[in-house]
Amino acid sequence: MSDAIIEVNQLTKKFKSKEALRKVDLKINKGEIFGLIGQNGAGKSTLLKLIGGLMFPSSGEIHLFDHAMNANHPYFERMGLLIENAGLFPQYSAYKNLDFVAISYGMKDRKKHINELLKLVGLESSNRTKVNNFSMGMKQRLGIAVALLGSPDVLILDEPINGLDPQGISEVRKLILDLNKSGMTIIISSHILEELSKVATKYAILHHGEIVEISSKEELMLKCEERIEVEVDNAGLAVPILENDLHIMNYKVMDDQMIFVYDSRKESHQINTVLVERGISVHSITKHKQSLEQYFLNRTGSEGDIND
Amino acid sequence: MINLFKMDLHRFLTNKMMYILLMIYSAFQIFGIFMGKKYEQPVEGETLMSAMNESQFIQTILSQTPSWVMMYITVFSVYFYMSEYNSGFYKNYISMNNARIHSVLSKILTLGLFTLFMLIVMIISDLIGRAIFFHNTTIGDLGFFVKLIIGQFLLHWAFSIVILCLTMMIKSMIASIVIGIVLVLNVFGMVAGALESLIGNSNFSSYLLVNTIIRIKDFNDMNETIHVASVAIIFMVLFSLLAIRYKLKEDLR
Repeated sequence: MSDAIIEVNQLTKKFKSKEALRKVDLKINKGEIFGLIGQNGAGKSTLLKLIGGLMFPSSGEIHLFDHAMNANHPYFERMGLLIENAGLFPQYSAYKNLDFVAISYGMKDRKKHINELLKLVGLESSNRTKVNNFSMGMKQRLGIAVALLGSPDVLILDEPINGLDPQGISEVRKLILDLNKSGMTIIISSHILEELSKVATKYAILHHGEIVEISSKEELMLKCEERIEVEVDNAGLAVPILENDLHIMNYKVMDDQMIFVYDSRKESHQINTVLVERGISVHSITKHKQSLEQYFLNRTGSEGDIND
Repeated sequence: MINLFKMDLHRFLTNKMMYILLMIYSAFQIFGIFMGKKYEQPVEGETLMSAMNESQFIQTILSQTPSWVMMYITVFSVYFYMSEYNSGFYKNYISMNNARIHSVLSKILTLGLFTLFMLIVMIISDLIGRAIFFHNTTIGDLGFFVKLIIGQFLLHWAFSIVILCLTMMIKSMIASIVIGIVLVLNVFGMVAGALESLIGNSNFSSYLLVNTIIRIKDFNDMNETIHVASVAIIFMVLFSLLAIRYKLKEDLR
């Protein structure tokens, strides 16, 4: 049995002549927070709906918990979904909406479960308020509560922080991290990269229906961190000079010739001067600084669009 | 299946729209009887409205197009399905095993319940109206009356399933209600009847659902009773299967 609890192979979805997803491959392991990044219309919601069993693929395969999925398979039950807007009856209260879902699950002791969830998402004081009178953020939090009602193994959240104020964003972030600590696998889509970077452990960049890149958090941070890349003929000789002469302790030796320096107080010309004075041959020295957003725009080739 | 039906039933019984529709219908039904009393005119060979028993009265009311009972059933069927569809509430349970099939069956049962409520309200309103304005609450032959109510219940339930199926496919509240009204006006029945009269011997239009609902029937005649039951069951089964098949293949956006 593999670690992947969700595996998608060559998944394609067409709507009439338009291809919303094209040959998507990805694996999501148990316990991950999988961040799906993409612009509006990139295909994020379509991919999540396919994984959640709301839509059927035009071609390709979805494996959940090591089982190939076909229509109405019971493994879809183990997914909690909050896709696009929360599916709520506006004329009923938060409690009543949760109660309807709990009844459909055949849940015993509904009242206790519902009150616990309302407390978890911070809506216990608004449980009798009609959803019609809820703010966007409250609706999103109630949507998360609904998605959690069946105690799912996987929680799918599509743009969960849309419309939330900073406090609401922080609360949802904390909730996601807490749920993940309890062992829940979470798939979360967003176009707010900075926010996604605070929770996700793995990322996929989706662009025009295709997966452009899948990276772990460490890989992505490496690509986006601020550092000075020093290429010398002998890294072993250069390190003592960095430590003793420049007092740089925050660095990483990548190989025999490459050193990454993370000390933001030092300038590249200072390092270059000292190394050359000590007889070290410096092949190149470059400052690497790229925000998540810049990186995403580079990968999707959308920089021009934003500058427009 | 039972759980989804329980959920729909819970929503059905806590739905103000259902009670409002039934109350409005009841008020208009009683008002209709008052108007019937005020403008009652004897027609040669026909029983006066005030002299009719409940069975005759129901047959007369239901034979007048557009049938208000069907109109209310149309509005409720479209509303009940579309309110869930538009809110996206189905996303909360549709990933459960066989939920697509069960949700359609559950809606069908709920609409059956609403149809039953409509007929009960119709009978009660008729009795109240007839007692007040005609001083006549006779029911007539009880066996005939029971067969009439069961027959009309099945036919109207079948009609609600047709509307549900069309609404699922059309996915628009207004368009579904407009099509429902066209059906209630029996446009298709009239066109089919006209074509039949041109062609000759065909009797196809008598098997159309709305035509069967509005035709005055003799439930003492076994053939007539079998005809009514067959039309109702065929439409119920056909459109239930169509609705389930559609739901099983539907991409829920």
